[in-house]
This record gives sequence, structure tokens and C-alpha cells, in this order.
Amino acid sequence: MTDAIDPHALSEEDFHAEVHSFQFWLEAVEGYLAGTEFGFDAGQTDETFTLPELSDLITTLCNYCVAEKTALEASSGMIRFAPSPDAAIFLSTQVADEGRHLEVFVHRLKMLGIEDPWQEIDNRANRSLLQFKDRLLEFVDQQDWEAAIFVQNVLLEAMEFTVFKAHASSADPITSAILAGVVKDERRHMGFGENDLGRKLRQAPHTRTRLNQINKELNPLVLSTFSEIAKELKLNTHQGLSISSNYLATIDRLGFST
Amino acid sequence: MADFLSGYSIQSWLQSCPQGYLENTDFGHPAGEKEPEELLDNETFREDAIRTTVQLVVGERAALAASSGLINAAPDVGSKMFLATQTLDEARHVEIFTQRLLDLGVKKDELESVINTYANANLVKFAEVLLEKVDKQDFIAGVVGQNIVLEGMAFSVFEMMHATNEAANPKFAHTLTGTIADERRHVGFGENRIGSLIKENPKRKPEIQKMQQEMTYHMLATFADSFKANSDVVEQAQDQASPDIKPAVYHGVDLNRADATEMEAVLADTVLGEFKTRLGRIGLEYLSPAA
Amino acid sequence: MNDPLIDAESLVKKRKKYELTETGFNEVPRKYRKFYRRWRGTGDQLADNEVLCPVCLVVIRSARELRPGDRVYCMPCMSRLTVVEKNGMLIATVVY
Repeated sequence: MTDAIDPHALSEEDFHAEVHSFQFWLEAVEGYLAGTEFGFDAGQTDETFTLPELSDLITTLCNYCVAEKTALEASSGMIRFAPSPDAAIFLSTQVADEGRHLEVFVHRLKMLGIEDPWQEIDNRANRSLLQFKDRLLEFVDQQDWEAAIFVQNVLLEAMEFTVFKAHASSADPITSAILAGVVKDERRHMGFGENDLGRKLRQAPHTRTRLNQINKELNPLVLSTFSEIAKELKLNTHQGLSISSNYLATIDRLGFST
Repeated sequence: MADFLSGYSIQSWLQSCPQGYLENTDFGHPAGEKEPEELLDNETFREDAIRTTVQLVVGERAALAASSGLINAAPDVGSKMFLATQTLDEARHVEIFTQRLLDLGVKKDELESVINTYANANLVKFAEVLLEKVDKQDFIAGVVGQNIVLEGMAFSVFEMMHATNEAANPKFAHTLTGTIADERRHVGFGENRIGSLIKENPKRKPEIQKMQQEMTYHMLATFADSFKANSDVVEQAQDQASPDIKPAVYHGVDLNRADATEMEAVLADTVLGEFKTRLGRIGLEYLSPAA
Repeated sequence: MNDPLIDAESLVKKRKKYELTETGFNEVPRKYRKFYRRWRGTGDQLADNEVLCPVCLVVIRSARELRPGDRVYCMPCMSRLTVVEKNGMLIATVVY
């Protein structure tokens, strides 16, 4: 087994090469996915839900599937115009992560008795989220790297990270385990986006104006989605505000107004 | 179809790869394994290894662009899931072959210029034919081009390289073992998924067969260039090898004793034979580039 | 006689060193795991060799006492950070 290495002693170039590599991803996910099946310990037994609880959970999971399918399509589409081979390799790991997220959420829906998850997703998809998705995929089709990275890896991933974290803390054990694994992946995606965009904004400050416009356009959709999810998850006011404020802090760090 | 595609799920991939044959590997081989000194100390052999590895990087970059690009074109979620795992496999292949270039002494800041210098023009054209279909989001043509033609070629090339390197370069041979295992899945998906789509869309056959013909032309030209470029190296390596060296058998040919022309012939015959068989199984007719 | 150099040196305390052990954090390759831990929430008291990553809320640990100006990396989210002092506390800010 390899000896411990002090990550803080790495040069910046070596650090970036390391964390964007497939090898890093492989050794990272091995830590928390080994021995799991569809994101949780196969030996876990499921809770019993009341009908309203079940319905809310199903709606929430359906919207998670919309988000993850969007992320899968966006991240795979971005590989073609990634600015470097390292970025392409990192996005490949994100593609696998997003595929896995979609798979585990669909699997959870089936466990909860949904025979046709895709029909259910169509029936319950949040309209704001669908609009957000369409806009993101437009940027990907246009091969607009800055816009796509901003919307996908900053906005969408930050949204998912905060919601999944909040939900994991109050969910039933199986859903919570699934979400905990997903959150671990989202850290990498969010971090990649924030750091890549942060560097680009320093090099080309005029990009900020354009992305600020996009942010203003999509913010209402994000906050509307938060509001719906907070209702489904039965979050209290404090918890609901916490989701929004964590998300807004991410936007703020990059210097965007809200 | 749902049952067959569940075999290509991400859960299956996780259990096969990171928790299977990739466990405890570093860039595809056990940690600590190195390129042989005889290779690194001989400038001719080292340059030949670099040239060969550059072609692998070029091929895998094309495969990465193709598999990721086809996800949005896939008509069903099961296929998207599989292509997500293939995207990751191809990225891993890009990484491990790029790492090999570094292990062979290529400096990091020279990587792109070395790749540009040595990339075979016919291989680049081969990739362009495929990526044109991917850019048009043509799922059927894309999967035939990628998972039958490109992956079929890669599978045979890797097997040949594995046979040559098993004794002489265990590090590289171990790297190739993992890529061969991945290619099995890719080729399997291609055959299993496309057959029904070809049946449902028979009018697409002539155009897809034309694509295969064009890709095959460029593939054979790549082989010709590569074996011509390394014929002196093959001769020198065989002269220096021990007379008792064990055979490295690939489809009946001892690669430790065959000349470059024989090697090219056995590789081309193997790949073309595989093409005919696989294409036939999915309802397509193999078109020879000589036709 | 007072040697100003010796006097100056003694004013700058030597950094404490820490022996790190794994805490169960499992989101990065094994060789890096002891340099990170999960944040336990608002009541979590950070040690002199720890800062909280503002991007992903993981606690970053160092093998030596941290001081303003130090560079640390958060591998779970791939961020580069600088340690700064704010309101008497050490925090990490992202450097792009």
C-alpha cells in the first residue's frame, strides 16, 4: 500500500494533474463505493412510508433524475470541446459519476414501486428545472465552454450539492446512503467548475459581464426549484434558507451578483 | 432489451473494473513496474516505442470524443449508461498511454508537440471519418464506426502488442491486459446493441458500409506506415534477442521471429477477418477498401 | 549583550508539528486521506493545523501548524486555498 503523501507540498501543476486524473478518481471512489450496490449497503432494509411521504419522495427523486440526466448529457457533450486533455479526462470521470447518479436514483424509484420510472419522471418533472436543462444544453450545443461550465458545474452542481446534503440529513437510511455517495462526487464537480471558471475570470474579466447575464436569467429558475424541493422535503424555514444561502455563497465567491 | 443492457450498468462496471482488474493498479499496471532498461537505454527502440504509443493516444482520444459524443444521440437510457462507462474507459486509456509516453522519457511540456510529430496522418483521417458521424449525432453509424470498426481494430492491435510484450515488457503487457478487458465490453455492446437497430433501419446499410470501407482503408494505410517505419527496429530487436527466446505467438505467427511484413499481414488479416464476422453478425456486409 | 537576531528569532514561535491519523474520511485516494476530515457542523472546533474549505465544507488538515499566507489544497473539490486571518480566526480563501 502506498505511503501517505502530503498534498500541500505538491506544486500547483502537479496538484492539478493529480486531481484531474482518472487514477485519482479511481482511488477516490474506491473508498466509498466498494461493497455498495446501487449506492447503498445491499443488506440494508427499507423503511415503511406513509402514502404522502412516499409521493413526496418519489417526486423529489424524479426531479433528481431530471437533474442527473441533464448533467450526464451536458458533461458528455462538453468533452468534445474541452480546452485541454486533462479537462477532457476529468469530464469523463464526471460523465461516469452522473451516469451512476441517474442509475442509483432510478433504481431507488423502482425499489419504491415505480414500474415505469421514465413515465413517472415525465409526469412529475419540475418545470423550472426543465427550462434550466434546456438552457444548459443550448450552451453545450453551441460549444460555449465558459457558459456551459458555469451553468453545469457551478450552478447545477452547487444546487445539487446543497439540496442533496440537506436531504441526506433527514432522509430514510437507504436514500440517505445513496445521497451521501452522490454528494462526495458532487464535491469534485463543483470544485472543478468553480476553479476552472475562477481562473478564466481572472484571465478574461470581460467574460464576467456575459456570465452575470446568464446568472441573472437562471437564478429565478434555481430559486424556484429550491422552493419546490423544500416543500417536498418538508424543510423548515431555516433549512430552506440554508440551502439557498449555501448556493448563493458559491455564486458570491466567484464575484457574481444575485 | 432492458435485461441485456443491465449487464452494461454502471454498477456492473464498478464491480468489474475498480473492484476487479483495476484494483491496486497504478496507470493500469502494478505500482513499481517500469519500462525495461534495454528499451530506455536504446535510442532506436525508445523512439519506436514512443511512435507506437503516440498512435495509441491518438486512437484513444478519438474513441473518447466518439463515445462521449454519442451519449446524447443514444435512443435509450441503458445505452447512455453503457456509453458513460465507455467514456470513462477511453479516458483511462488516454491517460495510461499518455503516462507511458512520460515513462519513456517524453517531457510533459513536449507531449503535444511529440504527439503532433508522430501521429500517423491516416489514423487521424480514420478518426475524422468516425467523428463526422458523431458530430451529426448519428447513433447507428457512430456505434458501428466506434464499437465495431475502431474497437475491433484496437482489440486485435492490443492482443498483438500484448503477445509481443508479455515476456519483454511486463509493465506494458499488464497495462494492455486492462485495456483488452475494456475493449471486450465495448465490442460486445456494439454487436449486441446495433443488430436490432440495423434490422429496423435497413436503408441505412449502404451508407454505413461505405463508412466502414473508408475507415478500413485508412486503418490498413496506418498499419502499412507503422510496420514500414519499424521494420529496422524489428530486425535489430530480433538480432539482439537470445536464440532461446520463447515464441510470442499471435494467430499462429511467432512475433519474435517474424519480419515486419509478416507481422503486418497477420494483423491485417486478423482485423479484417474480425470485421467480416462481426459485421455479418449484425447484418452488414463488409466492403473491402480495394473494391 | 543582547543579540538582536537571537531576540528576533525567539519572537517567532516555531510551528507545532502534528502526527496525523486517518479519521474515516474516504473521499480521496488512501495516501491523502489523513489530510482531510468531515466537518462536524457549527460547533466543530478546528485545531491550529486545520481550516475549513469554503467550497465543499471539508476540513483540511496539515502536518504542521497553519499560519496566514500558507497555501493548502482541498483535494475533495480540487481547490487551491490561502490561509488568512479574519476576526482573530484562521480561514481559507479560494485562490483561482
